[in-house]
Amino acid sequence: MPNKNLFFLLILFQISVFGQQISDSLTLHLNINFAGKPLNVSEKYISNNQDTLSIDVVKFYLSSFEIIYNDNSKYTEKNSFHLIDINKPESLNIKLLNQKNNIKSLKFSIGIDSLNNVSGAQSGDLDLQNGMYWAWQSGYINMKIEGKSKSCKSQKNKFQLHIGGYQEPNFALRKIELNSKNNGVNNLKLNINLAKFFSKIYLNETNSVMIPGQKAMKIADLFSEIFELE
Amino acid sequence: MKINYFHIIIILVSIFGLLGFTSWFFTTPIYFDVPKGFPKPVYDFKSNQVTEEGFQLGRNLFYDPILSKDNTISCASCHLQQTGFTHVDHELSHGIDGKIGTRNSLTLQNLAWNKNFMWDGGVNHLDVQALAPITSEVEMNETLENVVAKLQKSEKYNLLFLKAFNTNKISGQLTLKAISQFVIMLKTTNSKYDKVIRQEEVFTEMEQKGYKLFRQNCASCHKEPLLTNNSFENNGLPIDETLNDFGRMKITQNPNDSLKFKVPTLRNVQFTFPYMHDGRFKTLNEVVNHYSLNIKKSKTLSNKLKKPLAFNDNQRTELVSFLKTLTDNDFLFNTRFSYPKENN
Repeated sequence: MPNKNLFFLLILFQISVFGQQISDSLTLHLNINFAGKPLNVSEKYISNNQDTLSIDVVKFYLSSFEIIYNDNSKYTEKNSFHLIDINKPESLNIKLLNQKNNIKSLKFSIGIDSLNNVSGAQSGDLDLQNGMYWAWQSGYINMKIEGKSKSCKSQKNKFQLHIGGYQEPNFALRKIELNSKNNGVNNLKLNINLAKFFSKIYLNETNSVMIPGQKAMKIADLFSEIFELE
Repeated sequence: MKINYFHIIIILVSIFGLLGFTSWFFTTPIYFDVPKGFPKPVYDFKSNQVTEEGFQLGRNLFYDPILSKDNTISCASCHLQQTGFTHVDHELSHGIDGKIGTRNSLTLQNLAWNKNFMWDGGVNHLDVQALAPITSEVEMNETLENVVAKLQKSEKYNLLFLKAFNTNKISGQLTLKAISQFVIMLKTTNSKYDKVIRQEEVFTEMEQKGYKLFRQNCASCHKEPLLTNNSFENNGLPIDETLNDFGRMKITQNPNDSLKFKVPTLRNVQFTFPYMHDGRFKTLNEVVNHYSLNIKKSKTLSNKLKKPLAFNDNQRTELVSFLKTLTDNDFLFNTRFSYPKENN
């Protein structure tokens, strides 16, 4: 029975392909937290500035991932655009193709590069239906943080930080490189500590930033400083 | 001889597989013809190949109020074909629940040559333009995400997307690209003016005089053959203090752009009233009068208007008579651009 053998081979082949994928993929776990505690939407937190606040929306783009190895070789992910959304747990695990074990560092950008900001309607994580694009002044919103705090003298005490901008001098993309402390595994943990972010923002002064500009540039800087590779 | 069923299955699967990838998906490409004397289009047709199926899908979307939150407003509500795809008779365009915006809707004509969109140029690509009216609280007040969800539930659109893009997965990207495929084809290049340029017709004496005046006084901004130079200018309109619209400055945050608005094309200008970004003038005579008599001086006033265009009464009539030669009835009444009915 030749067909029986063939089916067997086919199954074997499938298993080997599947197995390959597992050993070659690296999962980057994003741990969005507030001073070490996992962030829960709508739970109340107190910032270092004594602002009591709750957070409803944390959405941002990570793009252009590169893994740098100890021998200085690197892996560059193609079409590397990941929309992270605290309300979509599946978006908090990023699978990257890993080639070697000795990872030195991880490089990536927060936000979307200029070219993709002027290239019209795109697909997948860049699809405009994800709500991360400004309609009246074209351009991706690199990062959205929304919530409520009594410190905000705004409607319903809301704060809304929508950060973007693809043109100089208000180009809001931020590139960061983080050293790996533990380089022999298939899992990396990326901590994003929002307590650090809110320790530098006074919500009574800064609670609505919705256009590119100097304020957005400053918040983009602050946001890029809260990433840490465990 | 024993029949080897396994081989037969393999052969059948291969045939069906090939059919699935090739023969089962046909689209009819539409070639975008650039008339002689027109510049190279700005729109990148390679990133969105126009097909008959995509055009028809876009046309259906354009005329469908499904794009708005309460299914009452379509693109065509403010962009009517017979008036050059603008909102006739309304100074400021109105949308959902009768809410009124702050500007007069622009025409949709020869968009393939536009570098940016909106009176202030805030939108940088035709494909993302539709997002603005869809999400505006005073226009359609909807989200693209929800539009996609509504389309996914529609049998009609599942079929139209399948025909146009060979997919069962309706996305925001494909929705926007389909709308682009329709509006990019709204090309008006067959007015009397075009025919005169092509030497197929001649101007009357009055039109000819008007054309001469136009070239001397207006064509540096309303540049031929598109009748716009795609720039932003302050044309000396005093600010409307109920709207306080500073135009381009809102986008660039540059005070040098204060009170500057897009130079609109003048094609079909006879029917695109009311005029100006806030629709303040009802007739072409009022427009010509403005340029002759009422230019308001300010820091950002266009260089080209520093000296008033002092047209006398005869000249005003001549100019208006030329402007009417920009009417293209083949465009305004082309049934391919109208509300989609079966078989056209």
